[in-house]
Amino acid sequence: MARMKFLCDAERCIECNGCVTACKNEHEVPWGVNRRRVVTLNDGQPGEKSISVACMHCTDAPCAAVCPVDVFYTTEDGIVLHDKDQCIGCGYCFYACPFGAPQFPQQAAFAVRGKMDKCTFCAGGPEADNSDAEYAKYGRNRISEGKLPLCAEMCATKALLAGDGDLVADIYRKRVLKRGGRPQTWGWEAAYGSK
Amino acid sequence: MRILLTVLFLVSGSLVLTACYEDVDVSIHEPGEYKGQKDPLLSELKQQQLQKELDERFKAGQSDR
Repeated sequence: MARMKFLCDAERCIECNGCVTACKNEHEVPWGVNRRRVVTLNDGQPGEKSISVACMHCTDAPCAAVCPVDVFYTTEDGIVLHDKDQCIGCGYCFYACPFGAPQFPQQAAFAVRGKMDKCTFCAGGPEADNSDAEYAKYGRNRISEGKLPLCAEMCATKALLAGDGDLVADIYRKRVLKRGGRPQTWGWEAAYGSK
Repeated sequence: MRILLTVLFLVSGSLVLTACYEDVDVSIHEPGEYKGQKDPLLSELKQQQLQKELDERFKAGQSDR
């Protein structure tokens, strides 16, 4: 069985935020929530590195482990999803996640957060596939249509890959072999050519 | 007059009390058990056809350049 994963190639990511925009537009993500965001180290300096971060759909998801009401479930191919109707907005999953993927749309009195929202790998949620209810709560369900996450499909440099972990790893392995340099080498040749 | 006011009070009181309805369909949490709705995507993913389509799309669109 395939295991769906994301991989962001830091050598190729140019911090265009195309993935962020694509995600936010496609799923009409609430204000204040960034399902996907680009993190840049040494911004503006030679050798800066950017990486696109969203829910990593962990095999042993800490968010699912700490949830007091067990709203998380994992599909056969490793996509971690949750039921917003059951969510109590406690924020435990946000504290547990090392990537800060679960986010909350509200900042109201008495620490009211609203329902947790996170990257769904474009797989929607526990509603009828491609229904209005699913779109309103979880965004577009591209996986049921045989499509891959839009962030990866929109990536201009093919830095962000999303799909079967074996296929993703295969592509990245070929890139590493082609580059032939240390991970710290940077530049056009390192990303696309061979040294 | 008094009777009229009493009747009016009872009727308006009944109308106001209809707002007190509460949906008693609650989920009782049991540790480690997912009690949310069923996701139809789970059964679709068990079929190999959808997985094949996704793999084909990956090879077509995200293979290296």
